[in-house]
Amino acid sequence: MGVSGALARLALRHAHLLVIEVPGNWLTRVTVERLAAVRGWRLAVSPADADILAVCGSPGPELAPVVARLWEQLPGPRARIDVTRPDLAAAALDQAEAALRDTPRQRRDSIARDGRGPDDAPDGDTALAHGSEDRDGLEMDVLHVRLGPVLPDWPAGLVLRAHLHGDLIAEAQAAVVDAGHGPAGGVQVGGEPSGEVRPADAAELAAQRCDNAARLLALVGWRDMTQQARVVRDRLLAGERSAAITELARLRRRVRRSWLLHWSLRRVGPLPPDELARLGLAPELTGDVWDRLNGMLDRAALAAGGPAAVAVGTPVGVAAGVPVTPPAAVASVVSGWDLATARLIVASLDIAALGVVTDG
Amino acid sequence: MAETPVAVSGGWAPLAAGLLGTLAVAAALFDGALAGRAAGARSRMGRPVGEVARLLRQRRRTTVAADRLLWRIGGAGLLGMALMIVTVVPLGRWTLFDLAVGVVWVNALDVLAWAFVWLTGWGANSAYAMVGGYRFLAHGLAYELPLMFALVAPAVAASSLRVGEVAAAQQGLWFVVWMPVAFVVYCLGVVAMAVWGPFSPAVGRDVAGGVTAELSGVDRLLFLAGRYALLAAGAAFAVPMFLGGGSGPLLPAWAWVLVKATALLAGLVWLRRRMPALRPDLFMEVGWLVLLPAVLLQDLLVAVIVIGG
Repeated sequence: MGVSGALARLALRHAHLLVIEVPGNWLTRVTVERLAAVRGWRLAVSPADADILAVCGSPGPELAPVVARLWEQLPGPRARIDVTRPDLAAAALDQAEAALRDTPRQRRDSIARDGRGPDDAPDGDTALAHGSEDRDGLEMDVLHVRLGPVLPDWPAGLVLRAHLHGDLIAEAQAAVVDAGHGPAGGVQVGGEPSGEVRPADAAELAAQRCDNAARLLALVGWRDMTQQARVVRDRLLAGERSAAITELARLRRRVRRSWLLHWSLRRVGPLPPDELARLGLAPELTGDVWDRLNGMLDRAALAAGGPAAVAVGTPVGVAAGVPVTPPAAVASVVSGWDLATARLIVASLDIAALGVVTDG
Repeated sequence: MAETPVAVSGGWAPLAAGLLGTLAVAAALFDGALAGRAAGARSRMGRPVGEVARLLRQRRRTTVAADRLLWRIGGAGLLGMALMIVTVVPLGRWTLFDLAVGVVWVNALDVLAWAFVWLTGWGANSAYAMVGGYRFLAHGLAYELPLMFALVAPAVAASSLRVGEVAAAQQGLWFVVWMPVAFVVYCLGVVAMAVWGPFSPAVGRDVAGGVTAELSGVDRLLFLAGRYALLAAGAAFAVPMFLGGGSGPLLPAWAWVLVKATALLAGLVWLRRRMPALRPDLFMEVGWLVLLPAVLLQDLLVAVIVIGG
């Protein structure tokens, strides 16, 4: 095979994959992430960083064109896989590896793309920003940016149309992609707009809290703890309960003891109980991002502690289900914050599923 | 031992570049190993090798209405900057460039990071990259002045801006011992310049990779290599400034320089995974209200000791 073959072999040990979760396919996404990590692959942060586009679930009519546009942005060599069920993940990753390894095929793909540069992309005409007053009454350029539906560590399917002054979100409207098209398959989806979603069991409930905590920790840039939270998540889903509980306890201890994290997250996105009630958010989200991160880990520990604690509902507030988050509430809590802080606040809401009612 | 280094011919420059490259690769390998350990996976020392192979195989890309020239200059600039910094770092008895104002030279170069990182964010014509670029400037506003005053302390103590003379002035006592604040602030500056660890919001996940959001292939490789090289160059420059240059028992001076630089570099790499990132808006307060006064006091103390002594 020569040099290019050796290069391909080395490169494949460290492929980066951009994972797109269609709402309701949480388990599939987590399985893909876990199996990819076992192979030594990493999660990409943007299409430019990705070799593999992994679509978890079947995208509806709104998401499908987004996926197609992202696919065009992958630099190549590239592979796209569509994983519709968790048990199909391993085979799909094998298939991606084979596609990336096939140098002649990648070369054909590359030649076919030449001449269709990004300058011919549908969004080719770029409008200039118009001005408006910022919070200090100064004239600022306003940039309209769509946050989501595909961003690293972002709730599945959420789209925030943000009006940015610099990197400050002046106002935002929220929507969920393909909201009108019903569940795209999977175990849980916001079928009842104001109800609760019911994870399969307590372990899954705990794992989902750990996954959300991992996302928040990834956004604050703490790599070791992100990894740790993902390890706990995967152990919970694999049924290794006692190991998961020990490691979760360690994770909670280390997070709680980090004065730097506390200093960085305290007073960010405070939500008093009456505000939560008005927005239709769960009462356990009271406090700032720091409180909510610890709350998330506490709920994970409680749910992992044993099935009985969850089934009957405990005094500490873990119910059998998790509330559905109304998208309008997400838009409301990020307004007035800068992009970085807004991302932390969204991640701190511990979203299990988004309500299908869109922002009016 | 106290003699100042002699400038060698420019023909040795490839060797200096090679040493810097070796340090940078070692840093990447160490980082890969730490990442592997955190993931609970088998040793991932090979990760940087795989990454390089991946990026060499990947196609370059561009974006709609990109400012291509400035974008590419920014992406490749960090590596050039690191190479220019090591030209004044003496390797024991030798230096490439015995500049009378060597300390100022490094200081002038480190400001270039502002331009290069920001241009990488600007050139792509992408909102996330742009936000990343501005985050770096916000960090820069907070770290640059403390960093400058941190470099003042050793220069004052040695009464020289010549890097070799600063190193020679530490024969009795390393500067790190009696100017620890300046040393810590200097290290923070190096970490910030390399957009590393706590100073990584400019390339953060929350903005899809920030300034690197649109980079692929060899362009991304150059930017990544530039960051590792800057970290290595910063660690190497700390050796003559704070860590006694080539002084040490048994080993020859050049070996001590490498040993000290490697040890400091390992510390900086290790730090990356252990800490959450510092949000630019919060770090601004720390930079101006804590670091700057602290390092000015350090300078005052050093000046008083030098005049008194």
